[in-house]
Amino acid sequence: MSIKMLEIGYPTPRFDALAKVTGEEKYAVDHTREDLLWAGTKRAGLAHGIIRGINMSEAWALPGVYAVLTRNDVAGTNRQGIVHKDQPVLAGRKVRHCGDPVALVLAEDRDTLKKALSLIEVDFEPLQGVFDPEEALKPEAPLVHETGNLLKKAVVRVGNAIDAFNECDIVVEDSFEVPGQEHAFIETENGLAWLEPDGGIVMIVSTQAPFRDRFEIAHALGLEVDAIRIIAPYLGGGFGGKDGATVQCLLALAALHAGGRPVKMCWEREESFIAGYKRHPVRMRYRLGSMRDGTLHALQCGLIYDTGAYAHLGVEVMALGMEHAGGPYRIPNTLIEGWCVYTNNPISGAMRGFGVCQVSFGIERMMDLLASKLGMSRLDIRLKNALRRGDRNCAGVTLVHSTGIVPCLETLGRHCLWTESGKWKAAAGPFKRRGVGIAAVSNAMGYGRGLPDSAIAQVELTREGKIRVYGGVADMGQGNASAFIQMAGEILRQDASRMEIVQPDTDLTHPSGSSSAGRTTYTYGNALIQACKELKEKLLHRAALVLMLDETHGLTLLPGTIRHLPSGRDVPLDLLGRTFPETDRIAVNQFVMPVAQDNIDAAREFKIGFPHVFFSYAAHLAYVEVDELTGKIDVKGYFAVTEGGRVINPTGFEQQVHGAVSQGLGYGLMEEVLLEQGRILNPNFTGYIIPTSLDVPEVTSICVETVESTGPFGMKGIGEVGTNAPLPAIAGAVEDAAGCRLRRSPLTAASVLRATGRGCGVDG
Amino acid sequence: MRISFYLNGKKTDVEVPPDRRFVNVLREDLGITGTKDGCGAGECGSCTILVDGHARLSCLMAAVQLQGRQVTTIEGLAADGTLHPVQEAFIEYGAVQCGFCTPGVILAAVHLLNQNPDPTREQIRVGLSGNLCRCSGYVKIVDAVEAAARKIREGKLR
Amino acid sequence: MREVFLPGSLEELWRCFEERPQAAVYAGGTDLLVGTYNGMLNPETLICLDRIEELKGVGDRGDNVRIGSCTTHTQLLEESLVQNHLPALWRAIAGIGSPLIRNMGTIGGNICTASPAGDTLPPLYTMKAEVELRSKGGARLMPIGDFVTGPRATRLHGEEVLAAVWVKKPVEYNLHHFEKVGLRNALACSVVSMAALLRLAPDGLVEKAALAWGSVGPTIITCREAEEALIGGKLTAASLGEAAAIVRKAVNPISDVRADADYRRTVAGNLLLRLTVAN
Repeated sequence: MSIKMLEIGYPTPRFDALAKVTGEEKYAVDHTREDLLWAGTKRAGLAHGIIRGINMSEAWALPGVYAVLTRNDVAGTNRQGIVHKDQPVLAGRKVRHCGDPVALVLAEDRDTLKKALSLIEVDFEPLQGVFDPEEALKPEAPLVHETGNLLKKAVVRVGNAIDAFNECDIVVEDSFEVPGQEHAFIETENGLAWLEPDGGIVMIVSTQAPFRDRFEIAHALGLEVDAIRIIAPYLGGGFGGKDGATVQCLLALAALHAGGRPVKMCWEREESFIAGYKRHPVRMRYRLGSMRDGTLHALQCGLIYDTGAYAHLGVEVMALGMEHAGGPYRIPNTLIEGWCVYTNNPISGAMRGFGVCQVSFGIERMMDLLASKLGMSRLDIRLKNALRRGDRNCAGVTLVHSTGIVPCLETLGRHCLWTESGKWKAAAGPFKRRGVGIAAVSNAMGYGRGLPDSAIAQVELTREGKIRVYGGVADMGQGNASAFIQMAGEILRQDASRMEIVQPDTDLTHPSGSSSAGRTTYTYGNALIQACKELKEKLLHRAALVLMLDETHGLTLLPGTIRHLPSGRDVPLDLLGRTFPETDRIAVNQFVMPVAQDNIDAAREFKIGFPHVFFSYAAHLAYVEVDELTGKIDVKGYFAVTEGGRVINPTGFEQQVHGAVSQGLGYGLMEEVLLEQGRILNPNFTGYIIPTSLDVPEVTSICVETVESTGPFGMKGIGEVGTNAPLPAIAGAVEDAAGCRLRRSPLTAASVLRATGRGCGVDG
Repeated sequence: MRISFYLNGKKTDVEVPPDRRFVNVLREDLGITGTKDGCGAGECGSCTILVDGHARLSCLMAAVQLQGRQVTTIEGLAADGTLHPVQEAFIEYGAVQCGFCTPGVILAAVHLLNQNPDPTREQIRVGLSGNLCRCSGYVKIVDAVEAAARKIREGKLR
Repeated sequence: MREVFLPGSLEELWRCFEERPQAAVYAGGTDLLVGTYNGMLNPETLICLDRIEELKGVGDRGDNVRIGSCTTHTQLLEESLVQNHLPALWRAIAGIGSPLIRNMGTIGGNICTASPAGDTLPPLYTMKAEVELRSKGGARLMPIGDFVTGPRATRLHGEEVLAAVWVKKPVEYNLHHFEKVGLRNALACSVVSMAALLRLAPDGLVEKAALAWGSVGPTIITCREAEEALIGGKLTAASLGEAAAIVRKAVNPISDVRADADYRRTVAGNLLLRLTVAN
């Protein structure tokens, strides 16, 4: 009977899909323990103010309330943060955004918890708030932090852009603005924590960074790092919003004050909006110059990132944005300035497309503008300037690794969806205008310079003869756990039924960095491959021992066994598992992602996260229909061509592309965190809308395969790149359809009607 | 108040306040966590269950409303260990990513196919339009439901 | 602790009303329970109408269709009486929320919630539907335009229930149209909506018109002047454009998180142009 082995390049079902379709999978939010207490947070409700007092007496008096904690109950620094530790666990002196936590309640049940929170009154001395990053930069602006509102000003430059503009035949200018976006994972931020008899904390939490969480908690609460165990089950979505402590420090604090009882914290949807992290709103000013034949020559841009009340990964987001501000193009002279600014708005942090989503809108619209001024096709101008391996990018980094934007654009250009698009456009019905738009994008992979992008993989043969992978990186739905099983299965010649994976657990698996930056399959995958090769060698040698062979040649791993091909004798894996001690059945290996070697000035400004040297690429095409009467934009078709080195699992690759397109489409058409004086006006799924099954069209996905020789089986991460293209592609299509050039997202029906000045043909 | 209903075919009694949100009865009182609670306002569909065979939002049902009803959660779909064709198709066609929306989507799809055994892709999209998925872009979900519909029809023809 | 009653008949409902006159009443709960569970509302007692069979079902009453208030939107979509005789209403119901919301929500709930964005309302207004209000003491009929008095406000008395909606079959019209504009294609609250019933003569002249708009005022907006502007002419861009200008003066939209008043006003007029291609 033929067994279907795991093989690289094969469309492979997700290893964890069975548990998910039966409801057996336990996400963090599904975990519970006996004698539970529920913890919840009193949020400021005020964007900027000094705390004069907190009246908790009624809350304490409520039957079923176990404890009410404030800043005074926090030993340690009371500061959390991934890089900049500027965020309080519980606000002591002042609050800086409406979601700032002021008190923590522990109660017997959720209803009592809610009631208790409503009974807490905070006496504030309101301070004037600042809600616009450009206002925040003015000298008279209210200070969000004592250190000033400018978190970071940086410059990325190559050549001499100012002089180079004088050499250009044509210069175009424009400005753009994009709002905050919500991750909107369906499983909100949550966790469960308890104290062990030895005083250590165990926490099951929906997190992208279990190993780093320990450091954040320890630093914030004055604990020892190794007294904290974090278990990271599969997440019900993350997209960057669970990178960095969300519930972790509050939950650990609660566990310390729960009299030994386990504590659960789960942010309901509204709290997730108010307290959770957001994509940075950004304002962009662009100036792009080229020669008459379309060769790009100079780029200048000013980028203002509103990082909200706390830094989170604001500087790193801006750094990556600046690195990508010129798009996947060769521009010999660039001057890119960025300001990362504190305001009293909700906290901006990591989100899929991390700073790049925003600037991709800017540069791609500029390319369309340039194309129209030059009378060039939008595809040709992109092809003409598209980066090739060996070029220097807009940040000055030499692209020594795989660089596939040219084949992406060429593939798109040859496809009938592009070549026949004119026919489709001409067939628009009454009151409909049709257009197509394209976007070329890239997205860096990995952490960049300044910190090791490292993973440590452990793989083992169990006593029962199974292969167990000890995963170091969280799986938030991107399917990296499945990819690891596929890789291990490929090398060790097993089928899925003989594979096991342990999701990250700081007691059982090894530090491997966060699930972010498109890095996990690449970095952990590389470590895993080495570990598997080591284990394979070891197992073959042990099998030779069992079979009394004087060499391992002729021995091969097969599902469940090692076979000596010349004699046909088998050594079952479970025999090896029982014969050899555990320490002899394990292989551990580390991998660190290579970094850019170019000496870039700006790298000194950015301590971490800049620059990068691996990029994935994509070219997208959007088919759009605009309704003349309502301005409504419908995406009727979508085509994505993506380059990410070799493809490990075509199904997994497509899943990531589809999902990225869907989030990008939401970003482009309907998602906006609406703010008024720092307060979110739409903190729920009624007011903040994401695409439904009727909003995302059929998406055609083609992959262009190159080989990333440093990557596991030649792959690169593509989790983020697809998110960056839909907004500019749709904007380009709307301009093609209706002639209106929109500079703000989301691209709303109202903005289309306004821009086209359409009443209904008669006065309106 | 004592509420009595049938959970995945089994007679089940719970002692809960009559207004207790049914998704909480399932998840917290009965420990059946396959049904999820993503928004508490009927906007995401992750709390979808079948009540007397019809897809309903359990976050917008008071416990007492389930008195005497047949409730099917995702855990009850695989009859005696055999996966429902929709579940199988979801695995095979890559319709599961983070999986958090999956139980709700599957039940909505089961309801859809019970009403319309041969839906077009557009009809599938309409049928699932109350279930938000943040990971997938829906394309593979539609693929899976289409395939499951075909398999069910072929199974009936034999 | 909050009580929830689940009466199985109208008889039981009257008893519930007697015991708890202040009770909040719901059928599907897709509006009331949202507010109750998120704390915006705090009713001490809830009455769920879901088990009262007398409030469900669609009946052919000759010239009229009688729709039980607790008939769900999904049931109405499956009802041939609605599909065949009330196509504009059918179209409106098809766009409400999502299949899950439609499986639970009822036409009675949509009417009594009386949101200006309630999608069943514009078609019901064009057909001059009447609501049947029942109490222990008897029943009364009221035109829907009188029943709804403002956003989320109706003339429902404390111990009354909306039992049914009576809709006179709109046989005098031959063009039944409804369009809803939302910010996405499902689970979308209408930003502007329009129902239109017209009778066109064989030569295309408009003989009769009934128009109603949603989400552009505190209640559904009807505009006799616009209707009269269309009568006697053909449906052309020019005539519809004139009517649109009249409508834009008649509507009174607000700006909110979904859309601004200008957009709503402009589109309310624009939607008339769709009638040139409606069938």
